[in-house]
Amino acid sequence: MYFNSLDFALFLPIVFILYWFVTNKNLKLQNALLVVASYVFYGWWDWRFLSLIVFSSLVDYTIGLQLNHTAQPSKRKLLLWSSILVNLGFLGFFKYYNFFIDSFVEAFSFFGSPIQPNTLDIILPVGISFYTFQTLSYTIDVYKRKLEPTRDIVSFLAFVSFFPQLVAGPIERATHLLPQFYKKRKFHYSQAVDGCRQILWGFFKKVVIADNCAEYANQIFNNSAEHSGSTLLMGALFFTFQIYGDFSGYSDIAIGTSRLFGFDLKQNFAFPYFSRDIAEFWRRWHISLSTWFRDYLYIPLGGSQGGTWMKVRNTFIIFLVSGFWHGANWTFIIWGFLNALYFLPLLLAKRNRTHLNVVAQDSKLPSIIELVQMGLTFGLTVIAWVFFRAESVTHAVTYLKGLFSSSLLSLPTIRPTNLLVLILFFIGIEWIGRRQHYAIEVLLLKQSRVIRWAFYMIIIAIIFVFSSDNQQEFIYFQF
Amino acid sequence: MKRFLFTLLSFFIIFFLLEKASWYFINKAPEKEHDRRLEKIVTGSFNKDLIIIGSSRGVNNILACQLEDETGLSSYNLSYKGVDILFQLFILETYLKFNPSPKKVLLLLDHKHTFAKGNPLFFRDDLLFPFSKYNYINNKLIARGKRNYGSKIFGLLRLNRKDFSTKKKKVLPNEVLTDCGSMPNPIKRPITLEYQDEKLIYQVNNENPKKIEAFKAIQKLCQTNNIKLITVFPPNYKAFDFGFMKRFNQLNNSENSVIIYDTLNPIYKNESIYFDESHLIRDGAKIFTSEISEFINSNK
Repeated sequence: MYFNSLDFALFLPIVFILYWFVTNKNLKLQNALLVVASYVFYGWWDWRFLSLIVFSSLVDYTIGLQLNHTAQPSKRKLLLWSSILVNLGFLGFFKYYNFFIDSFVEAFSFFGSPIQPNTLDIILPVGISFYTFQTLSYTIDVYKRKLEPTRDIVSFLAFVSFFPQLVAGPIERATHLLPQFYKKRKFHYSQAVDGCRQILWGFFKKVVIADNCAEYANQIFNNSAEHSGSTLLMGALFFTFQIYGDFSGYSDIAIGTSRLFGFDLKQNFAFPYFSRDIAEFWRRWHISLSTWFRDYLYIPLGGSQGGTWMKVRNTFIIFLVSGFWHGANWTFIIWGFLNALYFLPLLLAKRNRTHLNVVAQDSKLPSIIELVQMGLTFGLTVIAWVFFRAESVTHAVTYLKGLFSSSLLSLPTIRPTNLLVLILFFIGIEWIGRRQHYAIEVLLLKQSRVIRWAFYMIIIAIIFVFSSDNQQEFIYFQF
Repeated sequence: MKRFLFTLLSFFIIFFLLEKASWYFINKAPEKEHDRRLEKIVTGSFNKDLIIIGSSRGVNNILACQLEDETGLSSYNLSYKGVDILFQLFILETYLKFNPSPKKVLLLLDHKHTFAKGNPLFFRDDLLFPFSKYNYINNKLIARGKRNYGSKIFGLLRLNRKDFSTKKKKVLPNEVLTDCGSMPNPIKRPITLEYQDEKLIYQVNNENPKKIEAFKAIQKLCQTNNIKLITVFPPNYKAFDFGFMKRFNQLNNSENSVIIYDTLNPIYKNESIYFDESHLIRDGAKIFTSEISEFINSNK
């Protein structure tokens, strides 16, 4: 079920009413309702996918309990690796099987021994990369004794399948989300209103910014050979805003929806395009994934504890794995590699933790230096996104060659004024709200209700009008 | 909770009332259109003896006013550029729903493209958008997944970005609508045409089954409404497509009439009457329309 569908518009109020009015007196019943609702939400795509998520949940639930009963290190390790193998096995099969087969075939052909490929017609279960990482974090934390395993199977199933964040995150840690299922939730007016506001902004990002940028980005990327450098630049910029609007919009809707049910999810995006260097960008972009890789990959590999070579190696590993996590295509791996390259000078100069605060913390506008830093970081990100969006590495390289040609200085042939105005409005609002969890969190809160409501209504009106033009799937559903 | 629900409800009631202002733009949208034939169909403004349905070949190549003069049958051209047979079926269904049945329907065929998969002809939703103030049109857009069900309640969901523009749409010289709904091409396109003489092979496996069904549905509609269906093979600046003709005969009911342009007439091999290889200019359309009139008159 998509957030931007009529199905969800009916589903959400029904679950909300059942949750707060029918099951509110019994915590177990309330959690059970969330499990059922989440499975309906997920099964709406394809009910067959449900077996996978149920199986994965049961495996980790059982292993969690077993870990608690076992003190023997070798047996504990075996249990941990069983969970990793099952979870990553599913992920590997559904997401990467064909990629590996194709890559082997290409490699053999390159060395003059062509072989017959034996690829399968596999459908990628929606959100598998997200919930796999969520359940894995539970088992690893139990293994490391950071978390007591739960005996409450309903809470555990609800934790793994919690519908607002099930298919595209934020990837929650068991240490943060699971305990929230143990406690009775109370309805708070301010929390619910805040949730609605965040949902509204999420929809604006998705429907107005992302979907409309997608229309032009697709047009330009799909016929990149025919466009001038300046138009290709527009295409890359449109994709840059598309992916941000799409993914952070989804996160906002997820977080806002959770708040309606009394849950608190972690912030997943913190205005990444206002970053002053790549390190800051990665502290602000898809935070739940970056911190997952930090805690469960980078640190176990030695993190920053070893020498320079160790740090460089570990940095490259997490960026490459992060790229590969996004999809079974070399374009994502190159995208990860490119980001690691961007990160390298900061790491070597020990300047990767320079910008820990919000840009222009105490002023309305950035300084010239900050503006240049943001521009450079944004530019590097735009180049990397070309690899992320391109069909193949060759396509990306040709695209960039075309972009950095003499026609870069010509007038772009595609320059939709309405959309450019909306993007500027969007950047303006995001800049104003950059100190908050989401852009309109406190915007106009000091103004009268009339002004505030008028603003929200205008946003809804824009969403309505733009929603009828062209709806696109959330990009991150494919991951 | 009560406070939250009350606030939410108040917000949406106010929004619901205010958003009704969007009807100003919805009602204005048709006024910006040069071609308002669809609106006339939906409002039941027609009472014609003969209507023409088809794609650009229909709207360019048949002059409905001339046909009216020559046959004495009141005629109107309801063909649209770039549309497929599914759209043509929609036009016929809509016409019959809101207007008295015509005596005759001329269906212009697009040769090998008539039943083919994919482009260049398709169901042009863009032609429906400006008229979504009419529930019938809006429902059709909902059924086609181009609008959501919310548009039955919220006017804003019937709007497009373009509807906020107050400018009238630009009309190119070959998009000027005549009184009887035709859009003849005034001059030849500045390109040199090459007559294609090779024999074409029709590929049945490239057919879209939905388009075949649409053709059958058109025939059935005409039959049940007691309408004489006349299918028309318009001229092209290339050899006649016998392969398509053969396939067409398998699908066509024998009681329907078929008009094929006079393939032996050398004028159809004269480049000067063509706009491009598939469309005639006004002079060519006059010749072709006369041929059709002659056929109708001799089969009255």
